[in-house]
Amino acid sequence: MGAVTALPDRSRGVIALREESCTSCMVCARECPDWCIYIDSHKETEPATAEGARPKTRHVLDRFAIDYALCMYCGICIEVCPWDALFWSPEYDHAATDVLGLTHERDTLGTWMRSVPSAE
Amino acid sequence: MASDDFAATRDVPSDGWFGAASELKDSGYDFFDWLSAYDDSDAGLAVVTRVWSVGDRRGVMLRTRVARDGGSLPTLTSLWGGAAWHERETAEMFGIYFVDHPDPRPLLLPDGFDGHPLRKEFVLASRVAKEWPGAKEPGESVAGRKRPPGVPAAGAWGP
Repeated sequence: MGAVTALPDRSRGVIALREESCTSCMVCARECPDWCIYIDSHKETEPATAEGARPKTRHVLDRFAIDYALCMYCGICIEVCPWDALFWSPEYDHAATDVLGLTHERDTLGTWMRSVPSAE
Repeated sequence: MASDDFAATRDVPSDGWFGAASELKDSGYDFFDWLSAYDDSDAGLAVVTRVWSVGDRRGVMLRTRVARDGGSLPTLTSLWGGAAWHERETAEMFGIYFVDHPDPRPLLLPDGFDGHPLRKEFVLASRVAKEWPGAKEPGESVAGRKRPPGVPAAGAWGP
């Protein structure tokens, strides 16, 4: 047997955020046993597009962060997300020299999407 | 998961705890795996142990329930010496007394520790001190009134 050089692509390395699927519904932040998911959002109102229709309110994400110093990689947030906005990525190489560097903001969480395998 | 090979669980009343364990020991379950408990709310505290037969390569779990207040069980240390640390930990974490335990000192908690941390009513101080990230409503950036289960309101607990 040679050295193990490759991981299965469904290894559970880090949690990735598909931001366009997130509706800021707060379900992951509330279910997280470690309280390590931080979400800020605000409401925006879109004017009615047709006569007689009401204006639409939608939530706009301002912050989505996971503190990997607290996260225990249980994956409950991925399980409970009603919108399929969170995924396991096999990437594991995200050690930091500063504890603050372990809080991944949404841009960092978004980059992990590059290694999330497709659903098939 | 009710397979006989993997997760067979036998429920016994607390006065049959030692007898049932003793029968398991006599029928080949020579290896003590673990013992712990869980808080089953109104149904009391459940105590579970798992033992293993080295020769037959199979394990069994034995479960009983004791009262929340003043619950006690006979120690299993005379059957499996390895139960000693597990019973010490279960005693301090859940407030269950193990009768005739050879060394009933707390295992992990410091002397004088007040309360039993793995009971549901035990308040985790860090959860009171830290703002719950889930308290915000969708579309909001400031915490609302929502509180996580088991965490008292600000000012209702602590100094």
